[in-house]
Amino acid sequence: MTTETTVDVIDKVLGLGPSSPLLALRDERAKLKHLTQTSYVAALHPSDPRNFSYAERATLAARMAALWTSQELLAHYRDLATTEGASGDVLSIADPAWTPEDEAGRLSVILRHVDLVTKNPKAATRDNIEKLYAAGLDDRDIVTLAGIIAFVNYQVLVVAGLKMLRDN
Amino acid sequence: MSDAVHEFTLDALEWQPYVKPVDLQTATPEQLDALKVTPSNTKVSAYVLVLAQETEMLAERSPLFNDIMYSDGGLSRGGRELGALAASFVNHCIYCAQVHANRFIQLEKRPEVVEEIYQNGLDADLGEHDQALFNFGVDLTAHPDNVGVYQFYHLRETGLSDLEILDLIHSVAIFGWANRLMHTLGEPHRKD
Repeated sequence: MTTETTVDVIDKVLGLGPSSPLLALRDERAKLKHLTQTSYVAALHPSDPRNFSYAERATLAARMAALWTSQELLAHYRDLATTEGASGDVLSIADPAWTPEDEAGRLSVILRHVDLVTKNPKAATRDNIEKLYAAGLDDRDIVTLAGIIAFVNYQVLVVAGLKMLRDN
Repeated sequence: MSDAVHEFTLDALEWQPYVKPVDLQTATPEQLDALKVTPSNTKVSAYVLVLAQETEMLAERSPLFNDIMYSDGGLSRGGRELGALAASFVNHCIYCAQVHANRFIQLEKRPEVVEEIYQNGLDADLGEHDQALFNFGVDLTAHPDNVGVYQFYHLRETGLSDLEILDLIHSVAIFGWANRLMHTLGEPHRKD
């Protein structure tokens, strides 16, 4: 992912070239823009991916972008999933209509959590965290997953707001 | 220990995690380093100690949050708190709403705005400027796939510059992030 760490993902997905007024506006908040990009790397391609592979992170992000019909981010994360070598079940994650055959397995439990916290976070309760523990996730896994979900949703909102500025 | 709070309140709350926080006594150098970037070094909150389970993300998130909420120029501090409050109402993050409602009152000295929101929620009837900020926060949080010319028109109508709108977008979006951590990884209890 060497190129992904140097190219600003949000500028890229919104097609903001050097002459774009929105690019100039974003650069007025250079620190925030930089930290948004470094947060992206920390969520999608951290130095130690531990129990969430880079491919799985990219397809989870694609799934969340699809849940919000954020076409620009969906296209980006599909490409990233390919770059990260996603295949089989991991590749299928990107499709929100897909559910794994083993309904009680780790991946099923994770996907139900991702879908809930993305589209209806207010409905989440302690019970949802207990289900993640029961599926074999440890404390750090749960915080990692929460962080990936939270970051991608932030990014979806930022891209939606910036698109409004770009097109009006 | 008091029961968990499930209704919006302005009372002082304490957030208790469902997930094990990092123990400061046994924290790794990386964890201690990431914990340093929060405003208070000596007393680290349970929330931040939970997030320290994932050090690399926390190290970027804390300064990002602070820059979005406290940077100079652009949208007023109170305006950013209103964006945060709108997001927290949609996502039902009781703790986030309590903190940022009180901060709004502290900054703006207009408790009636918060009272109206706490009484009527997403249907709050506010003055034109506050209404524009609040409605945008609600719309972007609930329907990021349906934000466009209508929302933009109302923000412009109330006199917001491009930079102010950019700041509002980020203050709402960072609570799309914060709410999804705080509301899902623990719950608030009333302070005794």
